[in-house]
Amino acid sequence: MSGQFIFFMLFSVTAIGGAIMMLNMERIMYMIASAAVTFLSLAGIYVLLHAEFLAFVQILIYAGAITILMIFGIVLTKHEEKREEPKRRFYHISLFAGVVGLFAVFYYVINQSAFPAVTREIAQDQTKEIGLLIYSQYVIPFELVSILLTIALIGAIIIAKREGK
Amino acid sequence: MDNMIEQLSIGSVSLVTLATAALLLIVLVFVTYGIYFERKVIGWIQLRQGPNRTGPFGLLQTVADVFKLLIKEDTIPNNADKTVFKLGPIISFIPAFVVLAVIPYTENLYFANLNVGLLYYVALSGISTIGILMGGWASNNKYALLGGMRSVAQMISYEIPLVISMVGVILMTGSLNMIQIVEGQAGGFWSWNIFPQIVAFGIFIIAAVAELNRTPFDLPEAESELIAGYHVEYSGFRFAFYMLSEYVYIYAIAGLTTVLFLGGWHAPFAFLSFIPGLIWFIIKFCSIVFFLFWIRATMPRLRVDHLMGLGWKVLLPLSLVNIFVTAIVLELLK
Repeated sequence: MSGQFIFFMLFSVTAIGGAIMMLNMERIMYMIASAAVTFLSLAGIYVLLHAEFLAFVQILIYAGAITILMIFGIVLTKHEEKREEPKRRFYHISLFAGVVGLFAVFYYVINQSAFPAVTREIAQDQTKEIGLLIYSQYVIPFELVSILLTIALIGAIIIAKREGK
Repeated sequence: MDNMIEQLSIGSVSLVTLATAALLLIVLVFVTYGIYFERKVIGWIQLRQGPNRTGPFGLLQTVADVFKLLIKEDTIPNNADKTVFKLGPIISFIPAFVVLAVIPYTENLYFANLNVGLLYYVALSGISTIGILMGGWASNNKYALLGGMRSVAQMISYEIPLVISMVGVILMTGSLNMIQIVEGQAGGFWSWNIFPQIVAFGIFIIAAVAELNRTPFDLPEAESELIAGYHVEYSGFRFAFYMLSEYVYIYAIAGLTTVLFLGGWHAPFAFLSFIPGLIWFIIKFCSIVFFLFWIRATMPRLRVDHLMGLGWKVLLPLSLVNIFVTAIVLELLK
């Protein structure tokens, strides 16, 4: 058993565990904290896959996103609200059936498909490689996404300004 | 990093553990005497003596303070969210310590040689904010919550100019690797990044002080308005952990400034290079730490609305312009 395997198990358990916790928690702070666990575990898995750049960008983006989400959670929700779930028996049974069906489909597809083992050299300077690819082969999608993000940013500013009046 | 993952044998794990323990010890000594030094310097600037009672020249003052903190009763407010309250200081401290791994002290003395070292630092240091906000929220106290909110607002808005000001340095070196960044600054003080990147250096220092939550940007713990901000309900060793992570960040920022802008372990003149690189690193490191204390003793606190204005309307555009100018100049010189 290699160290890589141990860490893979650890990160996948925490990633899935965080996701399940997020769905089951009652208070919004706990939910967001569990989501943070999932995001950070995914970053760990990226490190195991030798994608260090992606891993740390993931942490950089999501650490900020999580804190902002926490602020919104505190500001925009009621602090002491308790919510009773209505008991819906049929709903739960159909949910269970759906989950089992989905698992069966996934299991079948994964079993059926062959994954050809491709061996590739791991690039020494990944950041440089990513930069070269983004600015040569994928420059048009990259520019389109940046225009979209700029439009979203300007839109947010305009909406905020209108409300300020 | 590849080797690190694949050779997780018992030997290498224990070696890493030993090195980490050594670093922790160094950091704790730095924090102990950093606090002593800070109180002395601020005392002298304000024409006071500073601590001089406990031990010779007051050298044991911080030791006594820390001891007092550790034996204090550990209080948790009744209506606090106990789990989150306990998690807060831990989440805030761990990233502060973990980021130290990528700072190279000399060409041979470093802990991790990461290709994306700078990104690692920036990414992980952002996690601390979550710990501060969790602590502020879990205390169930208006002042603590306000302090936590301010801290998040400040750290998010100043992280952006901090990171963007580093891009100028990255452009000059062409690498995110801290060791290569230092090696790019070899040969006399005129090739240090501080001179071609003086604008970036200014932005970096201002944003760094804001990230550290220190005066003039100590709004999250403004005593006169918020009592003590996010850690008002904390006492004993949990409070000590918040304080510790703040001082460990001073260590980290001083190390980072030395590496990025002051040429790391390189001597300012070629004829002075008989002095070992570690000594040069320590000298530069200590002057940054002194500079931080000096600012704290000199500046009044900023007003909260001015703070946001400064971050978004001055520092951010300035750092963006710096990137463009650096890129254009580098392209012309090529």
